[in-house]
Amino acid sequence: MFKTTHRLVYGLSYAVAVIGGLALTAIILMVCLSIMGRTASGILYSGFMTQNMPGLANALLAMGVGPVRGDYELLELGMAFCIFCFLPYCQVTSGHATVDIFTAGLNDRLKRLLQMVIEITFAAVLVVVAMRLYDGMQTIQRRNSLTFMLQIPVWWSYLAAFYPAALAAGVACYMAIVRSAEALLNRPLIDASLGADH
Amino acid sequence: MTNLEIGIASFPALLVLIFLRVPIGLAMFLVGSVGLFFVTGSTNMTLMRLRSAAYSTFANYSLSIVPMFLLMGYFATLGGMSQALFRAAAAFIGHRKGGIGMAAIASCAGFGAICGSSLATAATMGRVALPELRRYGYAGGISTASLAAGGTLGILIPPSVVLVIYAILAEQNIAKLFLAAFVPGVMAALGYMIAIRLYVWIYPERAGVSERVQWGERLRLLVAVWPVLLVFGAVVGGIYGGIFTPTEGAAVGALGTGIIAWAQGGLTIRTFIEALAATGRSTGMIFFIVFGAAFFNGFLALTQVPQELSNWISTQGLSPIMVLVVILVIYLLLGCVMDSLSMILLTVPIFFPVMMALDFGMSPEHVAIWFGILVLIVVETGLITPPVGMNLFIINAMDRATSMLETYKAVVFFVISDLIRVAILVAFPVITLFLIS
Repeated sequence: MFKTTHRLVYGLSYAVAVIGGLALTAIILMVCLSIMGRTASGILYSGFMTQNMPGLANALLAMGVGPVRGDYELLELGMAFCIFCFLPYCQVTSGHATVDIFTAGLNDRLKRLLQMVIEITFAAVLVVVAMRLYDGMQTIQRRNSLTFMLQIPVWWSYLAAFYPAALAAGVACYMAIVRSAEALLNRPLIDASLGADH
Repeated sequence: MTNLEIGIASFPALLVLIFLRVPIGLAMFLVGSVGLFFVTGSTNMTLMRLRSAAYSTFANYSLSIVPMFLLMGYFATLGGMSQALFRAAAAFIGHRKGGIGMAAIASCAGFGAICGSSLATAATMGRVALPELRRYGYAGGISTASLAAGGTLGILIPPSVVLVIYAILAEQNIAKLFLAAFVPGVMAALGYMIAIRLYVWIYPERAGVSERVQWGERLRLLVAVWPVLLVFGAVVGGIYGGIFTPTEGAAVGALGTGIIAWAQGGLTIRTFIEALAATGRSTGMIFFIVFGAAFFNGFLALTQVPQELSNWISTQGLSPIMVLVVILVIYLLLGCVMDSLSMILLTVPIFFPVMMALDFGMSPEHVAIWFGILVLIVVETGLITPPVGMNLFIINAMDRATSMLETYKAVVFFVISDLIRVAILVAFPVITLFLIS
């Protein structure tokens, strides 16, 4: 029962991290396309092209050869979604940076109690972060903020980021429950076979 | 309590939390928001900032370099370039005393030129070079220590994730910082090679040599590393040539290494998905620290601690170099227990204003860049200083036959090499700065 639940939570977090990675890949491709377009339009506007092949140059420019419009803001709008997508996976695999050396000598029971308190705090923080993000989205929606170049409503990006943020909060709560159970039972529930190792 | 006292009290609180194994980003966030509560008397400030703080930290043009460089590093690993680099380097110098160890360092440097992370460089090159070192009779300690040290070249030699974070914190030009890191990075590689040579000179029985390789074969192996040169040339050349921004350079690098990895047959749908997930995990970790640090630093700025500290130090009549040395020693000590990125995020907002207030007889930009490179080196030394050197752990875990103690003993040579290099770079800022002036 627990194993199935954990596989489910783990699998969902992994899938969302991969979706974030795919979004990152899309951003990378968009940026590269923009560089190519910018370079190409630079060549088309150059003296050589406008003198020797004005027809071709103008035709290509008219077709829209050039940098991706609003590439800078597209990147920023997309990055928020990417990073929030990465958080659930980071949470379920305990991937956050810690300093282990001073607690290494504690006995297992104390370590588990400590871990329980930490994960509960972490869950509380991520829940607040997700809730405030939603609140921030509503504020921006009311103000009707638009991006500079493409006039995209900024709250869309907030909304896209909110779903993975809410998932991160949910996964953190789940981990808090798991760590609490571990502390109360005083034995590990998640082992390497369940994919929670480093 | 005055705001200043609250600010000062926050440091021991933060350290206690971090040492209690609270994730570093979470600890900084907690201390930052509790601190804000004490300073402003309510939780409104924290809640208000949270509306946009997480979003705007994550939706950041400059910071987006970080996941792109990480993905680039994973692609580079998949592309088998680590193998090609090591084979080429070993063909050239493997037959000399300590040559295979030096070849491992050289290939780490080469891999560092397309990978912005020390841990990834250590892990990747470790997988390739560790079995070879052991095969040629290198003792366990020097094998693991060489690769752990070589891994730090991943960050010293541009591109570098840590340097990107420093650039953002100190509001400096990323391209100039990369350029400034280049010579110290090459010095690091040479210094590590000298360390290996010395080690082999003292313990000749702990290292073997390979057969001499014919020139034809050497050249053939050298040609095989062209993808590395191509990607490094495109990224670095493009950034300095003004063709694109560092973020765009990172995108080009990620796409380029991805295509090469695919052409070499290393990039399949399965490995691609794994690379994305691994990138996500590292990125999530880094960005959460950045998020926590932004909160903590916002609170610190409100308490005036950084300004007061730099005012106080500049009125003490201490020599600027002394202050710099003390700061670098603090980094070395912190580096024994903490990872490089967390250290940079935690300390740069405090130490940077101190440095800028001191008179080193250089322009502010030069001081900022020089200090950045020095900090980069000392935090990287932290990756190989016992007891908590992440690179040591990673490489040691790959070689079950070698005890941690053996690795600790051998790594002393590399730590000393690091310290000598830092001393040289402190004494002669021109080494760091001549490329950018």
